[in-house]
Parts: sequence; structure tokens; C-alpha cells
Amino acid sequence: MTATDLPPLVAEGLVRRFDGEPAVDEIDLEVRRGEIHAVVGLNGAGKTTLMRLLLGMLKPDAGRAIVLGFEAAVAPSQVWAEVGHLIETPFAYPELTVEENIAAAGLLHGLDRSQIPIMVGQAVEEFGLGRWSGKRARSLSLGNRQRLGIAAAMVHRPSILVLDEPANALDPAGVVFIRDLLKAYAERDAAILVSSHHFDELARIADRITVLHRGCHVGNLDPSGVDLEKRFFDLVYGADLAIRDGSR
Amino acid sequence: MNRAVRVEWWKLKRSLVTVTATALMVILLPAMALGFYSVAQQGGTGPLAQKAGAFLIGEGWEGYLGAVDQIAAAAMFLGTGFVVAWTFGREHTDRTFPSLFALPVSRTSIAGAKFLVLAGWITLLSLLVVAVSLGIGVAAGVGPIQTAVIGPALLRLLAISLSTSMLSLTIGLVASVGRGYLPAVGALILIVVAAQMSVLFGIGGWFPFAIPGLIAVSGSEGAPVLIPMQIALVPVATAVGLWFTIRWWRRAEAV
Repeated sequence: MTATDLPPLVAEGLVRRFDGEPAVDEIDLEVRRGEIHAVVGLNGAGKTTLMRLLLGMLKPDAGRAIVLGFEAAVAPSQVWAEVGHLIETPFAYPELTVEENIAAAGLLHGLDRSQIPIMVGQAVEEFGLGRWSGKRARSLSLGNRQRLGIAAAMVHRPSILVLDEPANALDPAGVVFIRDLLKAYAERDAAILVSSHHFDELARIADRITVLHRGCHVGNLDPSGVDLEKRFFDLVYGADLAIRDGSR
Repeated sequence: MNRAVRVEWWKLKRSLVTVTATALMVILLPAMALGFYSVAQQGGTGPLAQKAGAFLIGEGWEGYLGAVDQIAAAAMFLGTGFVVAWTFGREHTDRTFPSLFALPVSRTSIAGAKFLVLAGWITLLSLLVVAVSLGIGVAAGVGPIQTAVIGPALLRLLAISLSTSMLSLTIGLVASVGRGYLPAVGALILIVVAAQMSVLFGIGGWFPFAIPGLIAVSGSEGAPVLIPMQIALVPVATAVGLWFTIRWWRRAEAV
């Protein structure tokens, strides 16, 4: 497979340890165009670490994180102009207004200065932030900060999205909004990697579900199947048993 | 780089830390110096008058601006240092640091932009301190306005303000490595104490952070005479601090 044949986002045998303990242990994963790929796992399973590795925020101890055919550590700026992400904390500087935060994100994501007013206006409207557009981010509720963070991650219309728990702190209307937004993006051929704890959400949006446990890939779930939660715990407990028996 | 400069400028000018530090330094520095000057002028045998008298070097404008020099050497290092600590440390404390990865604008550019806007702010701040010191001195009537006396004294104040503030840029390294502004604030206080100690032990001329303070007292009785190589330590130390900070930003991980 040549670099151009590769899916936009690829993890090849990724390993990352903290204090000798593997947080991500030989994980292979692909996120294809037009696909929402979800990673699911308990707290500390390695979801966020995996995303950080794929975004070049962490250096792998082994394996490769590949973005648009380039290793994340050396990917050129044109590659990152195609990427939007929200990892744990939204891009929301408390002293800046909602509009200024989105404009700042747009500039850092490579938008031309001339495009900024139009793109910011569109993002404010699309994400339902009009009432707060002139307000400083410090005065926003948690849910609106999350909306702002996702707007900042998407203001430049990226073709690759990496979102860690995008539905965090959102009200039911916000959850539905993000679900529809991600589906629409995937339909426009974007490659989307999300993490989530909500099985109901995953069943509705994910094309593929990878289950992580203790840093390892322990299986996949079919989003269209029944009782995702039960099948998830079967995989997780099965992995725990295998570890206890020494077979993993 | 332009993009990062624009974003960093928005963040700096909107920050309450910057606004407060600017107001405090621009107004309090000359006001405190005038206070010392006035107490010394009134004379008397009280401990405050004696302290103020010992603090002043010369009479009139020379004495007043000399007092501003001495206060600025320490206070502007601390004041601008707080802003530098906040600028670099807040990305960790506010947990926005990961947002600065996976962007077409490199982290080297972002760190460089932080330094650029801070250097711009420091220059503006130093000019303001000089202008307000002159204005307060004129309003308080500290002495006859003689360009030959005031001109060089104001230039010296500008040099002290700029050098001590530019040295505080090195605190960005502590805020980055320490991943927050608190370690940097601790380092600021330690450096001020170390500068005092180095002067007490007679080696202040070789400790870059003590040099603005030594320039402030130069010409007074018992003050060491600085040689050009010692003064050159100020830009060298600043440049080394900047280089290591940018290098840290280039290599850092968002753990």
C-alpha cells in the first residue's frame, strides 16, 4: 500500500508507556474517509492517549501514527490544516469572546485573514452560539464551552476530525446536534475518530467501534447489533480474565 | 508567525493580569518614588526619613528619577515576570496546551509569538513608565526642568526598565518546564533574593539579574563600576532563556 492509498488516519502498532506502564499497547487502527470510527473503553483504557499519539501530541515508544500518509511527528503544515481536534479541554480562552476564540482557532488552523469574518459568522450560527457571540468564554456554561470547543475545532472545515468525548457536558439538544453534525461531515467524506462512553450514542453514529481496555485493543463491536453495553462488558471482562489466566 | 502573533496579542491585551500589572507599574512606580523623595526632602530624624534619605542619590530630578530607577529595577522584573509566567503557564493551568498541537502553525512560532508580543508590551510599558515618571515629577515640582539633567536620567530609567523587564522573559522557561505559572512565580521570587545576595557578596556584577539594580545605583558611594562585558550579560542571559524556552516548546509533549 502506498502512502496515498493509506486511510487518512492510521495507527500501526502504537505503544506508549508512562512510568513503564503501557497506556497504549500495540494498537492498530484505521479511520477511513466517510467513516465515523469510535473508540470506547473504561476510564484509563487508553482512548485519549491513542488520540494524542495520532495528533502528534505524544511521541510513540514504538509503532507509527500516520496522518494523510505522513508520520505525525514530521507531518507538514498542509497536513495539519486538514485536521480538527478537541482533546479533553475545549479551545476556549476565558478572556476572549466566543467570536474571538473561533477567529483565533481559524487563524491557527490556517484560514486566511480575509476568510475569518465569514467563517466565524457561519460557525457561530451553525453551532447556535449567536446569543453569546460577544460574551467572554469565561461566562459560558460548560455545555456552551463544549459547543465553542467543537466550533473552534471545525471552523476551517477539516477533512479529519479527532474528538474526545464530544458530547461531554452537552444537553440533549446539543447531543442530537453534534450527532447530526458528525453524520453530515462523514457524508461529505470526512474521516472522524471519536471516543465516547455513551453506547446509545455510539449505536446511532458510529460505523465502526474499537474497544480498548488497559491500553490494548480487545475487540470490535458491531454498531448495528443489539445490546452494545452487554457486549462491551463481555469483551472487557473477557480481557480481564485472560490477563488473570496469563493468556494475554 | 503572523497568525500566532495576532492570536497571542489578543490574549495578552484581553488578560486581566496584563491590564492590572500595567496599571500598577505605570502608576505605582513613580508614585512610590515620589513618596520616598518627599519624605527625604522633609528631612527629620525618624527611621523612615533616614531610610528615604539613604535611598536617594542626588537632589531634585536626579534624586527623584534615581528612586524610580531603583524601584523599577526590582518591581518591573517582578511585574513583567508575573505576566510572562501567566502567558506561558496559563496554557498548562487552563489546559489549553493540547489545543496548540496538530496545527499548521508550529509551536516554535507560537512560543516565538508569545515572546514577540511580550517584548512589544514591555517596550510600550517602559516608555509609559518613563513618560508618567516625567509627568508626575513635573506635576509635583521636583525641581527646575533642565534637559541636560532630565534627558540622561530618563534614558537611564528607560534602559533599566527595558533590561530588567526583558530579563523577566526568561521566566517563560520555568513556566513551560514547570507546566504552570506557580513554579514561575516561585522562581521570580528566588531570582530577586539571589540578586540581592549576589550584590551583598560582591559578585552582583556577574549575575545578570542583579545588573539592572546595579545600574540604578551606579554613581552612588560604594557602588561597583560595571564593565561592558558585565552589562552584555543581560542580553545574553535573555537570549539564552528565549532559546531554551522555544526549544522546549518545539520538543514538548501534551502529556
